[in-house]
Amino acid sequence: MSNAIYRLIYISNNCMEGSNAEMQNEIQCILEFARKANSAAGISGALMFNNGCFAQVLEGPQGPLEETFERIQCDMRHDSVVVLSYEEIADRGFDNWSMAYVGYNADSLREFENIKTESGFDTDAIPAERIFEILQEHLIDAENDKLAA
Amino acid sequence: MNSNLPLEKEAGGSELHPSDNEVSASQQHGTVPSQLANAEPLQHGAMATYALVDGEASIISANPEFSRLLDIDAECSQLSFLEKLEQRYPENANELASALSDTNSSTIELQITSNEHCRLNIAAIDSDRRLVVLEPIKSGHSEIEHVKLSLIDPLTQLGNRRQLDIFLESWQSADGKQVAALMLMDLDRFKIVNDTLGHGIGDTLLKVVAQRARRAIRDDDLIVRLGGDEFVIVHTNKDQSSGSVEKVAKRLVEMISRPFLVDGHQIGIGTSVGIAVLGDETKNVADLMRHADLALYESKSKGRGTYSFFEQTMEQNALRRRDLETSLRRAIGLKQFSLVYQPQVQLSQGVVTGFEALIRWNHETLGLISPMDFIPLAEETGQIVSIGEWVLNTACKEAVKWPEHLNVAVNVSPVQFESESFVNSIQDALTISGLQPNRLEIEITESVLINNPEAVFKQLEKIKEMGVSIAMDDFGTGYSSLSNLSNFPLSKIKIDQSFVRGEQTEKSRALVNAIIALGVNLGMDTLAEGVETQDQYMQLANDGCKAAQGYLISKPLQAASIEKFISDQSFNSVKIDP
Ligand SMILES: Cc1cc2nc3c(=O)[nH]c(=O)nc-3n(C[C@H](O)[C@H](O)[C@H](O)COP(=O)(O)O)c2cc1C
Repeated sequence: MSNAIYRLIYISNNCMEGSNAEMQNEIQCILEFARKANSAAGISGALMFNNGCFAQVLEGPQGPLEETFERIQCDMRHDSVVVLSYEEIADRGFDNWSMAYVGYNADSLREFENIKTESGFDTDAIPAERIFEILQEHLIDAENDKLAA
Repeated sequence: MNSNLPLEKEAGGSELHPSDNEVSASQQHGTVPSQLANAEPLQHGAMATYALVDGEASIISANPEFSRLLDIDAECSQLSFLEKLEQRYPENANELASALSDTNSSTIELQITSNEHCRLNIAAIDSDRRLVVLEPIKSGHSEIEHVKLSLIDPLTQLGNRRQLDIFLESWQSADGKQVAALMLMDLDRFKIVNDTLGHGIGDTLLKVVAQRARRAIRDDDLIVRLGGDEFVIVHTNKDQSSGSVEKVAKRLVEMISRPFLVDGHQIGIGTSVGIAVLGDETKNVADLMRHADLALYESKSKGRGTYSFFEQTMEQNALRRRDLETSLRRAIGLKQFSLVYQPQVQLSQGVVTGFEALIRWNHETLGLISPMDFIPLAEETGQIVSIGEWVLNTACKEAVKWPEHLNVAVNVSPVQFESESFVNSIQDALTISGLQPNRLEIEITESVLINNPEAVFKQLEKIKEMGVSIAMDDFGTGYSSLSNLSNFPLSKIKIDQSFVRGEQTEKSRALVNAIIALGVNLGMDTLAEGVETQDQYMQLANDGCKAAQGYLISKPLQAASIEKFISDQSFNSVKIDP
């Protein structure tokens, strides 16, 4: 029970302003912090940024996961946080990643463009499992690219 | 073990549970008197010996006993408060210096004379200011009494009510010219968390809320937990406009509305905030709390999850509400309620099929009061339950006197469904009056189906089993999805008068037709309300609407006029002059 692993998937709206380069820089800072803090807390996951919104998968033991999420919740760099799923899982999906990153303009991220509507998020447009799959597929692509290069 | 709570609405009632987060009756923002009673500022402050100290450990404000009891020279201006203390109590110098700079609260014991000790409770108001409260230690003074004198809320580690009261008093005597705002914050839907997930999770949630709120406000704001799910934030800063208060309030509301994860559960709550700003609207520090409370009431009646600033009219409204509430309590006994009956006709043949019973309140001095004004109040205070029973009983007794083909429709409030005995009270009304169940129709509104749909569903099924029919009132104005409707045992949809009355727009026409089609589809009758003109009547009849009511047919009638109305209709058919 105590070593049960949970997975959290949420989306949120970016509140940072600035040029692309400044954004990339800020996201780099978030990632650096996240990777250090997450590996110390036994948390794995992936972060996506596209079309003005974030999607993040976080996996880990319940206590540290909830603590990490609470810190992320207090972050004013994003808002309109919507938790799509939070459940116990058998196996981690991002075992080797303290925080993988999937950035701009990837083809597979087109799907995300429907999620943001004028009034907020259309959470029916894209279910949590699909976000999880897309992030995983995309990381596999990135791995393959690396191997090919 | 996981649950995604569909937390929709704060439940009514005020059961008390022995828990740390217990919401006491005086903190419930349901009814008017309790929310006025809630505001009792400066209760403990008046009894305390304190000093408010700034970031340089200089006294901002203190009461005279403070220096006298500590035996330090209040007049001497060369030395700071800390330096005076260090000089007078050299053994405690280090302890005192670190306690005054620490942002955590602490307690220090000092020996004042050979046989007298005192305790200094030091609490951080914000990153700079410290509140120092002096408490003589008397022999035989138990630990429990010291706990009562604490300045800290043990659950959240924020300040407590005593800290707030003493701070407000000290701050009031210091510098009344600074901008100050008091924000009263009350969680929305917290009771549901307690009731469904238990008090343990409720307590943990309060801790996380406290931390999140602390991060949402400014470093130099004071935050305390009053008790239950109520928090107060005091914003005092020289360089600030009330714009910065609004910013903080906005951020608080937004941040508390973000999801919480607690012990494997995802929890969605929110917060309502009432704000009183010292200045134009609120002249005295002593009024801050009461005014913030009135503003909080406003936020809650605007639908929660928002903030409001106090305005003078809120006070008058609260007084008016309280008077009205008192009168309302007596209204049944004084027989000030009456029912009027508006005819309903079947459109194709113009035959009167029954009447909708509508309540009227004739107040002894105010005259006729619209149900729009008193029903919401009665719902808020729970008096709607007895008023609702009176309406049911009276309408049934009246309807028994009518010819047997005429039915009576009675409006029912969502709050009545929250009472266990609601279904029984319908049965009782039928039994006492002797009315055939199929001649009674109850009218519900969409909001009934949204709050706790399963429980309501069961009650509606029972009502239907009795033979009573159920109509959906004011359809089109609420937010229930059309698909939802088919699950409930309804026999009629009433099209809201706003789509029928006056000049029909393209849009309202389309909506009316969609509702008529929906009725056909679901096998439910449709009745249009607010029919005023011949044209509207013909149009509705052509479009396939089944029935109508409105001024064209007749305005609501006194019970005594019904017999005449019925006999005036040739063949019971409504004559509509071209
Ligand atoms: C979209 C987004 C994702 C983030 N992901 C993580 C994360 O996975 N782990 C983490 O420790 N911090 C993450 N952060 C950063 C936290 O929000 C926060 O800045 C950091 O934990 C430092 O918190 P502190 O200021 O309370 O120490 C993320 C921030 C954003 C905006």
